[in-house]
Amino acid sequence: MEHALEMRGIVKIYTETGLRANDGVDLTLNKGQILCLAGENGAGKTTLMKVLYGLEKPDAGTISVMGKPVSITSPLQANRLGIGMVHQHFMLVDDFTVAQNVTLGKEPLKGRFSYDLKGADEAVDAVIRRHRFSIDATKRVGSLTVGQKQQVEIVKMLYRDVDILILDEPTAVLTEQEIESLFITLRALAEHGTSLILITHKLHEITAISDRVAIMRQGAMVGDFPTDSVDGKQISRLMMGQSVSLVVDRLPYTPVQHPVLRFDNVSVLKRNQQRPLLDGVSFAARSGEILGFAGVGGNGLGVLEAVLGGFLPISSGAIVHKDEDISRLDSHALRKRGLAYVPADRLQVGSALKATVSENLIVDARNEFTRHGVMQRKKIEAHTQSLLKTYSVKGSPSMPIGTLSGGNIQKVILAREITQYQDYIVFSEPTWGLDIASSRFVYERMVQLRDEGAAVLLISSNLDEILAVSDRVIVMYRGTIVAVLEAEELRQVTKEDMGAYMLGLRQQEAPHG
Amino acid sequence: MNPVAIPVLHSAVAIMTPLLLASMGGLFTELSGMLNIALEGLMLMGAFASIVFTHFTGNMVVGIALGVLASMLLAAILGTVTLHLKSNVFITALAANLFASGLTVVLSFKLFGNKGVVVFNDIGRLPRLDIPALAKIPVFGDIFIGHNIFVYLSWVLLALCAWVLYRTPFGFRLRATGIHEQAMVSLGMRPSRYRFIAFLVSGFTCALGGAMLTLNLGAFVPNITSGKGWIALVVIFLGQKKPIGLLFAALVFGFADAFSNYAQGAWNVPADFILAIPYVFTLVAMVLFSIYTSRKNRVE
Amino acid sequence: MVDRMEKRRVTIVATLRNSIGAVVIVGIALAALVVLSLLLSATPLKTLRYFFLGPLQNTYYFGNMLNMAIPLIFGGLGVSLAMRSGSFNLGGEGQLYSGAFVATISALALARWGSAGVVVALFLGACTGGLLAGLSGVLRMKWNTSELITSFLVSNAVVLVVSYLIAGPFMDPATNLIATRMIPESFRFTRILEPSNLSSALFAAVIAVLVVHLYLYKTKSGYELRLFGLNPRFAAYGGIRTKWYQVWPMFLSGAFYGLAGGMAIFGTYYACMKEFSTGMGWNGLAVALIARHRPAAVIPAALFFAYIESGARNAMLHSDVTFEIASIVQSVVFFLVTSAVLQKIGSVQRRSI
Repeated sequence: MEHALEMRGIVKIYTETGLRANDGVDLTLNKGQILCLAGENGAGKTTLMKVLYGLEKPDAGTISVMGKPVSITSPLQANRLGIGMVHQHFMLVDDFTVAQNVTLGKEPLKGRFSYDLKGADEAVDAVIRRHRFSIDATKRVGSLTVGQKQQVEIVKMLYRDVDILILDEPTAVLTEQEIESLFITLRALAEHGTSLILITHKLHEITAISDRVAIMRQGAMVGDFPTDSVDGKQISRLMMGQSVSLVVDRLPYTPVQHPVLRFDNVSVLKRNQQRPLLDGVSFAARSGEILGFAGVGGNGLGVLEAVLGGFLPISSGAIVHKDEDISRLDSHALRKRGLAYVPADRLQVGSALKATVSENLIVDARNEFTRHGVMQRKKIEAHTQSLLKTYSVKGSPSMPIGTLSGGNIQKVILAREITQYQDYIVFSEPTWGLDIASSRFVYERMVQLRDEGAAVLLISSNLDEILAVSDRVIVMYRGTIVAVLEAEELRQVTKEDMGAYMLGLRQQEAPHG
Repeated sequence: MNPVAIPVLHSAVAIMTPLLLASMGGLFTELSGMLNIALEGLMLMGAFASIVFTHFTGNMVVGIALGVLASMLLAAILGTVTLHLKSNVFITALAANLFASGLTVVLSFKLFGNKGVVVFNDIGRLPRLDIPALAKIPVFGDIFIGHNIFVYLSWVLLALCAWVLYRTPFGFRLRATGIHEQAMVSLGMRPSRYRFIAFLVSGFTCALGGAMLTLNLGAFVPNITSGKGWIALVVIFLGQKKPIGLLFAALVFGFADAFSNYAQGAWNVPADFILAIPYVFTLVAMVLFSIYTSRKNRVE
Repeated sequence: MVDRMEKRRVTIVATLRNSIGAVVIVGIALAALVVLSLLLSATPLKTLRYFFLGPLQNTYYFGNMLNMAIPLIFGGLGVSLAMRSGSFNLGGEGQLYSGAFVATISALALARWGSAGVVVALFLGACTGGLLAGLSGVLRMKWNTSELITSFLVSNAVVLVVSYLIAGPFMDPATNLIATRMIPESFRFTRILEPSNLSSALFAAVIAVLVVHLYLYKTKSGYELRLFGLNPRFAAYGGIRTKWYQVWPMFLSGAFYGLAGGMAIFGTYYACMKEFSTGMGWNGLAVALIARHRPAAVIPAALFFAYIESGARNAMLHSDVTFEIASIVQSVVFFLVTSAVLQKIGSVQRRSI
């Protein structure tokens, strides 16, 4: 049988860093096949797909599509060859409608110059109906849910008549229910003859959807099997070189009853907006527990983070820390009271990429390194050296932090915040984009803090993570708390139950954390 | 209507035209995601080149065409340096302003031996149009008639501009470039191409705005644009980056200018103060606008 | 010890490599000058000789060139401080002019105070510039109004108002110039390179560079300012008072411009003439850009600009081109100075094997 796609000996070297992201990689794909491309972060999966989609120019290697050798220099050409890609971060213009986004770059015309807006609606609607999607072609993309936006991305490629569709970590932002409906869609596409490549590093997804699995590690292809001939352990060993468990040993759960941090009926309402961003949120975080906050993006987790960090003032209610009202305090004042917080956006919020590692490390403790307004260079250097050693960061104090890898940047942030913490600490999406070994490092630190008596608040849209490390879980939906799962309930809850809460399909009566 | 108000409003419509023209071009660069502070320099280039070429060719249409070309050439240099040599658009645009103010004086000195005001007596007046249909508009009719051809041209161009931005593939791609550059890249389109065209459009409309200034006056005055390109930038913000918004914002500034001209004649205010009024007015308008937007986004 | 020397050697090599881009840009600018002379001048060789060698031909021209660099150094430092904090100050023209004006009238009012009066008058001039720029900072802090545009607008209005004051209430009726009265002898800086205009303000400029350098890199406030400039969200997250750093650097920036104006009056002009400082503000900005906001690099950048300006003046005096040729050369520098492509020339490219 002829291969839909054949990549041979692909080499890609990034000149800036000298990294061999792809080192002689081979990959084939049959017509109508669903292939999972698995591997840790930095294994080279995305680079390989970018080469295939014309976004990166390979240094060596050949590509054949439907048996014909081709050279792909731009996404436009990839589209012409019938190759499409759905990126991990949506490439959508929020201000445009679904149809306008889908047809961008391939617009139907009325006359010679005029954009046929109606024709676009009709053409896109036809694609949507043919593949039974649930979106409206005339809706503004900005008003859609994450799952719907992903549908728009897929429709965008189908409109371009692709035979080979690449999806880069398509499930990262979806709930269980949305993932299920995505998989149904993908299977239907495969039955129609579309060949699919899914980039993922989640084992259960690989077994659930794929016909074949190809595994990459450190820029090389280390395995390629029919999915039913391998088991999870084997795949995981190939991905990581050794198997790593996510479960971290911990002391029994014995929280102090008196809360460290309490939210009393907290609401955030922006002017001219109908729906509050946070609506009557109440909970208490206690010493010696990890309190998890779960939810789908856009349902209040980000707002909660901004409120905890002092970036967003609240409209009503009260935030109480050690029996003092801190509702009106901004970041500056909160830091003075000992706020420690690992932000979700570690590159834009958690660090200044062009500043040195030292400068990044002392930001919230700068007063301790200042005498009469002058910075004490030697003291700072010694402090930095010792922290880099303790957290085994690969890097030196005077390097700009932006030159470090994502995992090492996160370690620097952890080192800084854990040194700073006094009684509670906030982690928001702490392992997003990290590989399993680095994630495990983060979990170990979190559990260690909890065992030492910290109140740990974990805000995360990663359900596996929430379930693996939390002692109690609060589920948010549209700015309100829809469920609170105490320690004993947490042991029995299924991911499907959680998904139902996160999507607002189910709600506890008067949940109170 | 009040006998003072009609002439003031009439001249407001004329005064706003260069602002409207320049802000249209600026709207293209703005929507493509670049703050183009070179409007001033592009206007100045067009102002100088149009009248000089009209003088040498003896034909106003040819003169304006060549003036537009000169301004677009500067815009093309600006675009190339910014997009292909990957420079900071703010600094390169500042360079374009400096270049235009230097070159116009240097050339004026070379060609006419004069660094000050150069009067061209051989240039006819700008053609004026009387459109009877406009005169029939109740109350305001008198304000819109008897303007020079640039005034009406600017209205036609504004409509064209709205059509291009909202009804053509180019307009959608240009706006997509400004909102989500990577979305364009992922579909195989080059954002720099659309930005370059936006620069050229800026050069085109700014040149027309500048040409109107010099040809109306029949003379070139060094720095004749006197901050109009900057005010055009403010017009874009106040007009909420929408073609129709530009019209209203430009009118407000035209009125402020017309009023201060009137004030100078009527109340004998020192000339320096009069010249300062547009800047102060622009400043106040900008501050009020930003207070309005920041209130809108505030948490209650 | 060896380690430290090795480190220093690496730093020096890196600095040299990083300067190659600047050298290329200066080269292109000078090439543009040659082309312009060939096109515009009937005697291009003579023009070029006066342009390039004029400023160096004797102590008079050389001293004047150094003197010209003084306000550029102060202005360049001011812009660097604002840029480092992530603010744009486009109001240098008005801040410098009004600073000069206020310093002058303060000197006239404080004639009896002697050297204490010098300090007070310069301080008041600096505060004037500082408050004007600080206003833009406050507007940005309170309502997020673009300080880039407001500083420009305020400056343009202020230039006109100051011109009015000089030509009106404060004009010296005794001269034909549109200028204020002359400041008392005791306020004038000593000339240090007769017969040129170069004054002891040069030392003040060098000290100012040192002070700004130490402030930015050694103090806590400088650290906070730089971090805020590098990433405002990170600064807020780290508990740095972000509102303060939207206002304070703008104030400092304007104050340095104001000081530049006062220094120019007390060192060179002795009276505030109408529009005497036109272009100085923009040139200060250019100097900061070419120095890439590093205080130490402000000195060579200011000297380069002073050289071009005085070269153009020389060529205008002795040949057939006009002074504005300098702004064309400066614009070429502006066009190229931030180019990422040109900056890559000579920078270390790591290669993998």
